[in-house]
Amino acid sequence: MDILKILETKLQGKPVEIVPDYLGTAAIKAKEGSYRDVFKALMDADEKTGVTSITGIDLGAALGVFYHVRTSNAFITIQVEVPKENPKLVTVTDITPSAAFHELEVTDLIGVTFEGNPLEGHFVLPDTWPDGVYPLRKDVNPNEVKLNPSPPEEKFEQGKQVKIIIGPQHPALLEPEKFAVFVDGETVKAVQPRIGYVHRGVEKISEFRTYIQDVYLVERICGICNSCHACAFVESVEKILKTEVPPRGKYLRTIILELNRLHSHLLTLGHAGLEIGYETLFHYFWRDREPIMDITEILTGNRVVSSAMTVGGVRRDLKETDVPKIKSTLADLRKRLPFYTKVYREEPSIGLRMKNIGTLKREDALKLGVVGPVARGSGVDIDVRKDAPYEAYGEIPFKLITYKEGDTWARMNVRMDEVEESIKIIEYALDHLPTGPFRVKVPRVVPPGEVVNRVEAPRGELFYYVKSNGTAMPERVKVRTPTFANIPAFLTTAVGEPLADVPPNFVSLDPCFSCTDR
Amino acid sequence: MTNLAMWSRLKSPWVIHFNSGACNGCDIEIVALLTPKYDVERFGIKLEPSPRHADVLLVTGSVTKQCAERLKRIYDQMPQPKFVVAIGACACSGGVFQGSYSVLSGVDKILPVNAYIPGCPPRPEAIIDGVVKLLNALAAPPAPKAAEEPQKEEAASEAAKEETVEAAPKLTTEVKPNAKQ
Ligand code: SF4
Repeated sequence: MDILKILETKLQGKPVEIVPDYLGTAAIKAKEGSYRDVFKALMDADEKTGVTSITGIDLGAALGVFYHVRTSNAFITIQVEVPKENPKLVTVTDITPSAAFHELEVTDLIGVTFEGNPLEGHFVLPDTWPDGVYPLRKDVNPNEVKLNPSPPEEKFEQGKQVKIIIGPQHPALLEPEKFAVFVDGETVKAVQPRIGYVHRGVEKISEFRTYIQDVYLVERICGICNSCHACAFVESVEKILKTEVPPRGKYLRTIILELNRLHSHLLTLGHAGLEIGYETLFHYFWRDREPIMDITEILTGNRVVSSAMTVGGVRRDLKETDVPKIKSTLADLRKRLPFYTKVYREEPSIGLRMKNIGTLKREDALKLGVVGPVARGSGVDIDVRKDAPYEAYGEIPFKLITYKEGDTWARMNVRMDEVEESIKIIEYALDHLPTGPFRVKVPRVVPPGEVVNRVEAPRGELFYYVKSNGTAMPERVKVRTPTFANIPAFLTTAVGEPLADVPPNFVSLDPCFSCTDR
Repeated sequence: MTNLAMWSRLKSPWVIHFNSGACNGCDIEIVALLTPKYDVERFGIKLEPSPRHADVLLVTGSVTKQCAERLKRIYDQMPQPKFVVAIGACACSGGVFQGSYSVLSGVDKILPVNAYIPGCPPRPEAIIDGVVKLLNALAAPPAPKAAEEPQKEEAASEAAKEETVEAAPKLTTEVKPNAKQ
């Protein structure tokens, strides 16, 4: 880990303690406000530095603020402690703008305020939530919290700009979420997000359920990338337990994860067609998505929420007799891909509605810390499957897709090409499926420990932080989902473009708010 | 005229979908209904974006505190007679999110529900079955009053307590939720 060496020399004399091996990643304990120096040193050393998440945690006597930072070849956690009375820190948004949303969320859930953060207000909690009560503190019983009777009135300033509110119920959004778009004539001047309509408090309830129950809970954070959530969580628990999943289990997990990606990408590619008024394309894609749901059902027993992952492996084995069916379905899909690729590359209406729209330059993508197809569409070659291979990805050959354009069109084409790669991965995994057991037995009680874990969900890097205190229930589970990291991209790229380009631009992020809000 | 209205309601119910805190699982199954494999539009079931044109409100997800008021508002905007179908374990009872600080769990805390379709998520076939049962119940001749079930609106949440929920026309035949497949 050369980045740590660089840091060590740069941070000499600062009250900083570097722990190189902290359950799979490195940790930096920054004392006396030196975390900003660490950030500056990291930014200088590596252009791919971005804040993946900030975990606020109640440590009893103090509050912990853990900055999880991604660099090109390492993953680092910067640990800071603040006293419980008057917990205040200085923002790092001036060093890396990618931290803005994360800081706001920590303020909302655990009550650490960040001086200088440009955003304010409730971010994930309901509008009626009282001030000064933070649900993730251990001494707060959320069921005794008295909600304010009515939410505060929305301020509305009259002027040249008109505020158009999209949501919470809007035909174009499957999920309730509010975006206030300020327009001057046709041109978008600013976008204000309000997430939290689907906030179900998963992080808090997970503390009252056992690890096995939590697998089913985190899986239901999002119906679309459910296997990714379950996988990220069980992997974390396995890391704490130091359990090794048998090879067959790893391959089966990989197949399930890729099926998840296939159906998610097909869903989005179709949805983008719908947003630009190309309904035929929508129906085509959703028709071809159904066979994928069928093979998911063959493999796991359910169409959508698959419940296939469990601590120690997978819950069901794949029958030898099912393999030909899966292969022929994938072959059918592959036959249709050239047509879709042609449509996305050459169809003039797609070009008119997607090219040069919502362009996110490479520098901006790095600065905002976007992930997944959004980053890859802007030419940033990050993919957890390649950067830190998990499950069987290290053994399976596949291409990392990037496009340089950075516009809506490029992001959709990244997904289009990834469909092909996913099919290849599944076929390879089926051909090389190891024999032997598919799961191992694990103890119910997890020893104390903490771990960070990342997987590549269809929308990008999905991050989990799990802390165990030695009982049957976790102490803290933190989830950072890809859309949370990608929303800032929309807020910047939409500005200056006509209102009519907002929907395709927005859909090209493949936003998922159930994930974002948890 | 009433006959005509009834006929069109049964032959072509317009539905509106609201996600009041779902994980998307149920929602993608609802969209799957409208796409080529299941294609309920051929039976006249049409997804309608505006609540003012819809007859049936399909609700998914455990109602979050932030969404409760919006859900109520959408219901209020629908013309009479209107029907509510709770889709998925979350909408029926809160599902896995029961007991969380930010959900009210169960659509029936806010609105009178006419049909429950359990499952996590229910398969598209189950949703079709549920909607067909609702329509059959509407078409059936009225049964004696005693068969009616009391509405559950008293349990309305704190958020919605201020306004009383308008009672929806009660179904005369109980719509049995079909078993999870
Ligand atoms: S019932 Fe299941 S699939 Fe449906 S919204 Fe709830 S958790 Fe998701």
